[in-house]
Amino acid sequence: MAVTTKNLPQLYRFCFLMTGDAAKAQAAFQETVREAATRSAGDEPPPDRLWFFRDARRRCIALGEQGIQAEPGMLEEIEISPTAPMQIGQVDSSQLALWISAAPEPQRSALALFYLDEFSLAELLSLLEMKAGEFSEHICSGRRQFQAWLDSTIAYYGGETLDAGQV
Amino acid sequence: MPDKSELLIGCAPITEKPGIDRAMRVAIQRARQGKKAATFGHQQAFDAAIAKLVHDIPVDAQLAEWFVNENLIPVVRSGWKKFVLNPVVIAIATALLVIGGVVAYRVHEHLNDFPGADKARRLLTVGASNRSVLLDPLQTDAGALSDLFFMKHRLEHYDVPQEFAEFKTLGARVFDDDEVRRVAQIWIKEKRMQFFLFPAEPDKEGKISDFADWRFVELEGWTGAVTQRNGVCFMAALRGGEKDLRPYLEKKKQ
Repeated sequence: MAVTTKNLPQLYRFCFLMTGDAAKAQAAFQETVREAATRSAGDEPPPDRLWFFRDARRRCIALGEQGIQAEPGMLEEIEISPTAPMQIGQVDSSQLALWISAAPEPQRSALALFYLDEFSLAELLSLLEMKAGEFSEHICSGRRQFQAWLDSTIAYYGGETLDAGQV
Repeated sequence: MPDKSELLIGCAPITEKPGIDRAMRVAIQRARQGKKAATFGHQQAFDAAIAKLVHDIPVDAQLAEWFVNENLIPVVRSGWKKFVLNPVVIAIATALLVIGGVVAYRVHEHLNDFPGADKARRLLTVGASNRSVLLDPLQTDAGALSDLFFMKHRLEHYDVPQEFAEFKTLGARVFDDDEVRRVAQIWIKEKRMQFFLFPAEPDKEGKISDFADWRFVELEGWTGAVTQRNGVCFMAALRGGEKDLRPYLEKKKQ
């Protein structure tokens, strides 16, 4: 598949999920696109669209290593709630990006790439260079952790969503 | 420890696009129909909600300009090498080459055709399938058989040309063919050659035009050199190619 205007917004969203910061995401995105343009001008165009996401991932990880780092630790995990979609509906995309960007590698990349809903499983495994079992564990664990975060942030009571702080 | 199916379900695609591999399709099908259908449903709804949130991430207007200018990333077009190496293209090209070859062969085969060429080819198949035992044993010079054909079978002008008149015969016969009509066949010792004499075919205008030169017909490894005199075709046929017959035809010229 050719890299077109359809893929580039996804590339930016990926950068945003990876960094949790619009400025950093923009920097990683622009550097990747510039690199691709330079390669194309030099008759060595990127071989496929996966190249863009690999390159952007590398840049995002490097950017993430600058500045304040999230403290490593075990996050609480809770089984997915039937009301989760309503809770997620109350979350802002920047909150989601902050949460994903705070996850440790390679879970952060796995979650960011998976929720772009852009790639097949084979492509995801190729991008992340991991086995299906490991990838599945990262995604399942991420779901439960995000549910725990949702429950601690946004509670849902029979059709009424309330910030946890209000309860 | 979760089995493979459970692992796959854990990372089941959010939207089912074409091209999902079979193992994943089976795992999804089982999950939807199994005891954990409700759990899987919650997972799917959860993933869809997050995917929607991701899709709604706003793209800065300044960045949107990058998306408009597609020239930044020229679409990589398939090179001609990739096109040529495509198995479908190879198969089509091969088929066209074979068809072209057959057509060219057929055109070449009929390029120098003469009105009696089809009859001559038919007699080549007769020559290829016959055995000498079918013929009446007759050991003499081929040129001497003209009188025999005239006297015994009333075949006028069934003359063996000078080029082949001195060849020693093994046998001869006269037979009726549905298409060629009255045919005289002579078996020669030399290179197991066979001679055929048969009525000439009129051209499109209904005229019979003799030709003194030698014209060649080929069929399934057999070659015949044909000349036509007095409304009768003479064909010297042997297993082999035109080059095997040429020396006999050039002898006379010398």
